[in-house]
Parts: sequence; structure tokens; C-alpha cells
Amino acid sequence: MRPIKKIVIVGGGTAGWLTAAIIAAKHRSRIPAGFSVTLVESPNVPTIGVGEGTWPTLRGTLARIGVSETEFFRECDAAFKQGARFAKWTTGTADDAYFHPLMLPQNFSQLNLVPHWLASNDEKSFCDSVCAQNQVCEQGLAPKTIATAEFDAVINYAYHLNAGKFAAFLQKHCCEKLDVKHVLADVRRVELADDGDIRCLHTEQAGVIDGDLFVDCTGFKALLIGEALGVPFRDCSDVLFCDTALAVQVPYDNEASPIPCQTISTAQSAGWIWDIGLQSRRGIGHVYSSRHISDENAQKELIAYLNMDSRNLSFRKIPIRSGYRETFWKRNCVAVGLAAGFLEPLEASAIVLIELSAKLIAEQMPACREVMDFLASRFNATTSYRWGRIIDFLKLHYVLTKRTDTPFWRDNLLPETIPQRLQDLLLLWRYQSPWFHDEFDRVEEVFPAASYQYVLYGMDFRTEVEPGSLAGTAKLAERSLRENAAMIDKLRTHLPRHRDLINKIVDRGMQVV
Amino acid sequence: MPKFELLNYQMHRHLRMQPVAGATPHFVQIVTSEFSAAALASPVMLSKDPQTGDFFVGAVMSLKPGEAPLKSVDERGGLNPLSRQCSGFYISGEQIAIDRDNPRFSEVDGELLFDDAQQPNECLRQMQIALGKYHGGLEATRSFIDSMNKLKLIEPVDMSLSFDSGEKLTIKGLYTIGLDSLRDIDDAAALRLFRSGYLQLAYTIATSLPQVGILAHLRNRQLVSNPQR
Repeated sequence: MRPIKKIVIVGGGTAGWLTAAIIAAKHRSRIPAGFSVTLVESPNVPTIGVGEGTWPTLRGTLARIGVSETEFFRECDAAFKQGARFAKWTTGTADDAYFHPLMLPQNFSQLNLVPHWLASNDEKSFCDSVCAQNQVCEQGLAPKTIATAEFDAVINYAYHLNAGKFAAFLQKHCCEKLDVKHVLADVRRVELADDGDIRCLHTEQAGVIDGDLFVDCTGFKALLIGEALGVPFRDCSDVLFCDTALAVQVPYDNEASPIPCQTISTAQSAGWIWDIGLQSRRGIGHVYSSRHISDENAQKELIAYLNMDSRNLSFRKIPIRSGYRETFWKRNCVAVGLAAGFLEPLEASAIVLIELSAKLIAEQMPACREVMDFLASRFNATTSYRWGRIIDFLKLHYVLTKRTDTPFWRDNLLPETIPQRLQDLLLLWRYQSPWFHDEFDRVEEVFPAASYQYVLYGMDFRTEVEPGSLAGTAKLAERSLRENAAMIDKLRTHLPRHRDLINKIVDRGMQVV
Repeated sequence: MPKFELLNYQMHRHLRMQPVAGATPHFVQIVTSEFSAAALASPVMLSKDPQTGDFFVGAVMSLKPGEAPLKSVDERGGLNPLSRQCSGFYISGEQIAIDRDNPRFSEVDGELLFDDAQQPNECLRQMQIALGKYHGGLEATRSFIDSMNKLKLIEPVDMSLSFDSGEKLTIKGLYTIGLDSLRDIDDAAALRLFRSGYLQLAYTIATSLPQVGILAHLRNRQLVSNPQR
């Protein structure tokens, strides 16, 4: 038996340090018996901050790795995120917007409110009818109070964060609390064994580093999985067209300016603009398809969105390539983060995919080399499924549009650009809406049925409803809608302003219980 | 909004004070010197200040906000918490301040705060003593809570109580000292707690928890005998 005890992670960005923390926290009790996690990071390669939006899963992840949420807010410029507001995606008009919250619709596990809402022809949006979170965000309120314990919520939340600071925060925690070994060295050569496994890394500054399992977190370079092991990249730019991002950081008007508690995604002529509020600044970027718009015009659209003097702003152009590895775990090497793949940050999927992969690696950690290939194939099946579903979900935002004003939006509707599974589901949803007990209950599922509901009905999708079929749940539906309205009122009076709460957290801290 | 004024003869020579007005709240803040007496008749628990998130300690008087105490003052062993006694009075630096809008103050009813010689009357002198004890107690309690917090001994208690009337009460936002966690602290920490007197205070809080059951029993009896309650 060849035991797996030495885990070597290559790359020190968010992916590397988050993976190190998740594995080290899970296996910490094995350290006295020789288990180790080593992170090898180049002193010369700058990290790319992948996305500043996260999912509520990060709360559980941070709690499990043992960091303080108060310290996280203090050190990562973090703010709360309660969902995403999508503007101009459906018709492109000034008043066109819908909200994708992080809360489930009222009584979601008991009944599907979609047909009831559709049958009512209510002018109120689907989201506002079934969920309080949009109204909470509209009022600029936080998802909890200063008396709510760390990582607990009054209503579900995730974070916006400064990815560079987050990686540094995780590094400190990994090295000081989780016994992760940090090696600053450039990898010069990856040496393979006869059987095709990675035997060791030859580094410039730290000599030879051997390991039992290597995690490739080297970003787009994919040094191990791509360059050394030759796993091809599966391009998906035929489905998701955006291939360039233009990012900029914008200061607030003043220290007391409100911080939006949601990501704001505003559709443009050939892509969309993200707008994310941190404590000290806004991170804004234009993601676009260079086949459909020139860099110059993309920058003009971004400047028009900023609506401010942009002469002193520094714009950073980032080429992006949508797609993922054909195999994520090959031999004794598994790719996490950008080395595994990249998708436009429309639903903040980058960090959650790191969490999910690292958690799966930590939980399924092979005891010995002999069982690794079997676990790897399971990991690959799960992870491929997840990437596929995220691509479907991202594409859903584009195919529901009624915009035909530019070739970008028209091209997005071409059937050959829409994955077959999504086409099948769109047909199904014309007759029955997605809900709890169907397609999206698999453990591997990334987006719950509720997310599909919010996007579909936020973008005016219509599902046929047979009125007679609603009688059995009519009373419960009525009560649920009433309860939601009451909840909105209660939260409005109970929750503090977003910036006020962040100031209190930074000044005074939250209780751990 | 309270209307704070620094207490002085010129402004307040006609001012009188009465005993604390209004019903005793369902949860009354207490300080370390009051823990033992309170725990004889009430659950002593922690809660959080909604404005700051800081913990404070209190005695549970009733199980539902707005309901009268389930035990009379006599049944509570005469406990009259300093936080109640000092209602309307505050310390500001070296001076005493009052909330002029507190209903215990009036120029008609009650005892005059100052005598003709511009000196504090007996009622105000007693209040000065109580305020001193209260503020010293708050400091000691804060230090005790910090100690409990650092050792991760504070734990939430979510209670669900069912009554014969069919009513179900869910009580959230209260905390106690976890006995299991207390048993797990290392010897050095245990000795520190013992020497500082905090170990006894911690056990006082932890062992007062069963008083919740007694209050629930009393409330059940009252509900049965007086269903309109």
C-alpha cells in the first residue's frame, strides 16, 4: 500500500490557499502521524483575484476552517451580498431589472408558488411576491444584526470581498493555525514517474519537493494538469461568448456612502457590467465578447456606466477563456480554480467551485494510491456535471432575453449555441416549472431549483398553468404570500443599514455565539 | 429619546423622585454581586444588547415579553436589581446625570432630591450608593463575561415550551454557561477562574437553568386558572 500523506498544492492565489485551508482543517488531527499540506508559491508570479462575489457556502467553509468572521470583515474589505440584481437583461429598457436572491421562496419545501403567482397575474414581481430579500436590498439593509452570532444569518447571505486580501488572510490562517507549510519557490520542472504520476517538483529556490497528491492551483497556466500531464482544455466559447474583461476600481463619494448589498449586473450591447461594493471601494468591470464589440467601444460603454470623471482611473484588461479541463483529476494530480477552468463571473461561480472541489478532495481524500484512480473518476464525474450545469445556468440568462438590438444578443439565441439539455429543460418548463422535487435535487447540483425560478420568472418566462390544478394548495399559497409580505415589514424595521452594520463589526466585532 | 441632564441643585431643587414606575420587564439586567440571590428564584442567563451585540447578564422574570413577573417580589426573595433601582440615573464622568423624561421624576410627587441646604436628601444619598454599586458591578460583570467569552463557555439556549392551553412558546436569544465546556477547560484556566471567583459565578448561571422549568410550571398554572391572561 502506498499511503497518501504528503499533499502539495502549487499556486498561492485564492484557489491555493482556500484549498490548503479546507484540506488542512479536515485532516489536522492526522498531522502527528505524518500527514502534511505544503503550498508552493512563486515569489514572482502575481495572483489574479478571481471574482469578488461569493456564495453562502463560504460562510460554512470559513466556519469550518476556523477563522473569525469579524477578522474576515476587518482584513478582506468584505461586505455582505444578498443576491444579484440583473438590469437590462430582458428588454434592455431603463426600468428592466430583476433580482436573484439567496433566500428560497416562502415555504419552498412545501409548495411551488410559481403556478399560483402566474395564475394571479399579479403586477408584483415573482421575487417580491415570494421572498423578502429584494426589498431588504432596495432599502440598503444588512442580512443580520450586530447581535447575530458570527456566520449566523437573519436572512441568507454571502460576501463580496477583495480577493487579494482574502488570499493573504487565508495564508496567515493556514500557516499560523493549520500547520500548512509555505514554500516560496518557482517550479522549474515537473518530474513524472514511469507510471505517469507526478513524482516531484524541481524548484529554483527550494530544491526538489516530492508529494503523494499534487493540487494544481497555478491559474490559467495549468502547470501540472495542462503542461505536465497534457489534459486538454474544453473550450465553451461557442455557448458563452464573453472572452474579455475590463476591470476598474472606483472610490465611493465619501466614507458614509451606502454599500449596495447585492451584485449589480447590467447588460450592455455585447456583454455586461458587474458592480460590486466593498467597504472601501466599488469593483466594476465590463465582460464582453470581442467578436461583437471592439475594446475601445467596450471601454466607452464602461465609462458611460461609471458616469464620472474617469481620467484618473486605471483600467485593467483581462483576457478570459470560458471552458474547463476535460479531466480535473488525472493520476495523482487534481486541478482547482482557474487551472480547472473559467466561466464568466455572472453568478459568482469561481470561488464556490474552489470550495466544492476542495471539500470533495478533503472528504474523499484517498487513503492510498491504490484507490486514488477510482476516487478520481468519481471526482471527475461530479465536477464535470457541476461545470456543465453552471454553463447551462449562465446561458439561461442569455437565452431568455427579448433583446434583439445587437448581434451579440441575437447570436445568443441561435439554437446551435444552446446546450441540448438546456433546450430540453426550456421546453419542459413551458409546461411545468422547476421545483423542489425534480431535476435539481442531486447532491452534485450547484444551483437549486429556486435559482432557476428566480431567473426564469424574473425574465418574464411563462409556464402554462391549468387553474384547476391549483385548488389543493391554494390556501397554503395564499398564506405563504401573506407571510412573505409580513416578513418584509418585519425585516424592514428590524435590520440595520448595511454600512452601519459593517462599521459596527469592524469597530466592535461580532459574538461567536 | 432620553433627555439627559447633569444633576445639580440649581436646576433640580424642585425635582422629586418616586420608586421605579412601570411593570418589571421579563428580563432584568443584574450584576455579579446579585447573581446568587437572583439564582435562588430565577434563571440567570445572558442576552445580547441589540445595539452593540455585547452580552449582558439578566434574571428571567417571565417567559414572554410584556407579561408580569411569574413570582412576586417576596417569592423572588426580595431581589430588587440595582439596574431597576437606578432607573433614570446615570453616571457621567464624576457626576450624576438623570433622564428628565423618566416618569419617576416629577415636581409634584415623591421625595425631594435636595434639601434646603442644597445637600442631597436621604433618597438621593441612597441612590448615590446604589449607582456606585451598580457601575462597579457592571465593570465586574463585563470582565466576567469577557473571561467566559474567551474560554468559549457561553452557549445559546433555544427553548420550546408547550402549555396545557395549547400555546407554544419559543424563546430565543438567551445564553447560559455550558457545563460540558466548563468541564473541558484546562487546569490553569480552571484555577484562574476559581481564584477570581468566576468559577462560582459560572456555576451559578449554569445551575440556575432548571428554574426555567419552574417558571413554565407557574405560567401553566396561571393560564389554567386564568385563561384570559
